[in-house]
Amino acid sequence: MSLDWKIAVVVVVVGALVSGAIGYILIKDDEGGPKALLLATTTSTYDSGLLDYILPVFEEENDCEIDVIAVGSGTAMELGKNGDVDVLLVHSPTAEMAFVNDGYGEGRDLVMYNNYVLVGSESDPAATNRSANASVAFQKIHDNGTDGLVQFLSRGDSSGTHNKELSIWKTLGLNVSLFEDWYVSTGLGMGDLLDMCEQEDATTPSYTLSDDATYYQRLSEGLIPHLKIVYNYQKTDDALENQYSVIVLNETRFPHINHTLATEFKDWMVSEDGQDLIASYEKYGMQLFYPNAAGYVPGVRLLGSPVLSVDSSVESVAGAPLSVPFDIRARVPIWCG
Amino acid sequence: MRLDLTLDWLDLADVTLLSLYVSGMATILGSAIGIPLGTLIGLNEFGGKGAVKTITYTLYGFPPVLSGLFVYYIFSRAGPLGDLGILFTPTAMIVAETLLVIPLVTGITITSVVEVDRNIKESIRAMGASTSQSTLTIMREAWVGLLMACMVGFGRVIAEVGAAYLVGGNIDGKTRVLTTAIMLETRMGNFEWAMALGAVLLTVALCVFFFMRKLQERELL
Repeated sequence: MSLDWKIAVVVVVVGALVSGAIGYILIKDDEGGPKALLLATTTSTYDSGLLDYILPVFEEENDCEIDVIAVGSGTAMELGKNGDVDVLLVHSPTAEMAFVNDGYGEGRDLVMYNNYVLVGSESDPAATNRSANASVAFQKIHDNGTDGLVQFLSRGDSSGTHNKELSIWKTLGLNVSLFEDWYVSTGLGMGDLLDMCEQEDATTPSYTLSDDATYYQRLSEGLIPHLKIVYNYQKTDDALENQYSVIVLNETRFPHINHTLATEFKDWMVSEDGQDLIASYEKYGMQLFYPNAAGYVPGVRLLGSPVLSVDSSVESVAGAPLSVPFDIRARVPIWCG
Repeated sequence: MRLDLTLDWLDLADVTLLSLYVSGMATILGSAIGIPLGTLIGLNEFGGKGAVKTITYTLYGFPPVLSGLFVYYIFSRAGPLGDLGILFTPTAMIVAETLLVIPLVTGITITSVVEVDRNIKESIRAMGASTSQSTLTIMREAWVGLLMACMVGFGRVIAEVGAAYLVGGNIDGKTRVLTTAIMLETRMGNFEWAMALGAVLLTVALCVFFFMRKLQERELL
């Protein structure tokens, strides 16, 4: 093969690769059309498949595109504070209130909830499954942990789940920073933490707090055969409710955002259409998210009625109703067994 | 994603091509900056040269997430170049990855040209070459090392996930690359699928490195 011929081949191959790649990108960009709506959300809504199920409906109806950035609730709100996204779908009520009060968001609308579950060793040596409420279960883990019998694995990453866990320790009057080695702060995502819990459980009975969607996902993949739900959400105990809210960024503060579309999206999420769609999403043979927007009554369709709550955002700025934080029983002296 | 096999393969092609595009562009840009910079540092004597070299080598260890954070703050709406609106685009990813390539390419270039310079300096000077002539000759002689620099740079960015995730956002069909897809599938518990994507990444890398090795051994040029 002569040298010139080789050079020609190289030039053609390199040229084809480079122009192919660049052309590909240009075509992709052209497809975009009007600017897409940027939605920052928590990993659980995306990883559970909910967004892939509901968003195409909204995109179709409004002839638009929604770009989803699935990160932790903490990161999502940080992106919001810098004005880098248009709308948030997050689950960290206290941080959300602060976000709105500080003027980053226009308002906070409740969209749906699912449940946190206390996950632990099959044998449940701390006997948390007989607890009267979540706080009692946590107290038992604390007492057994202090005795060196069990350990608790924490997300430790300022996620919504981590904040929920911290708030439960707080109602017990316990200071996490004083906990000894039985309390492990990991910094892992939920799925990874469940995997770790499964492995750690081989040596020390381990507990962790998880959202139910991720738990069932890991369970269905056969990754956590030695873990079970040791304390479940009950109708009488809303301490483990995992509330998701939608927040449109404040247009006054961030004039560049796609405010019109963001508001339409928020209105749709809390409308009957959006709420019914959320309720109809099933995975692992069960409903994963329970819609609870203001005024929404499951299963009752008011035909022809307009979109709910035009000024619900105004209300929620004034003082968003936080889902009742903890079981009142958690505040009375707790029986320790 | 796994419902329709045809769509699956199309998605995979999208993700793979974007991986190639981002790492390829970052390698080209990083080398375009790093090779001249490294040659300049390697062939000239100046005060503080040792310190410059030490800093360059130190930046080999620059954490990718930090590069991502840095680029995020530059292109964030709250940052200096926010109005460009390139956050969460492949362009932002290329910038972050380029920052990671530059120190590697610069450092390896320095080492390569110094090595060549030591061996053939005298003979070049003896032939009466000008500075630019001798520099070009040295770079040509250092070809193997310079290609090595590009390969190491490419290897770093094709496997990089932290910066790509932060400034790209891992948006389906827009900024999802092989590494962030692997991370996502792992997070979702689809370990097998994640490993399959890893195999795709390694296959892509194999093709690229095969091509670059041919270049390095002058079987192509």
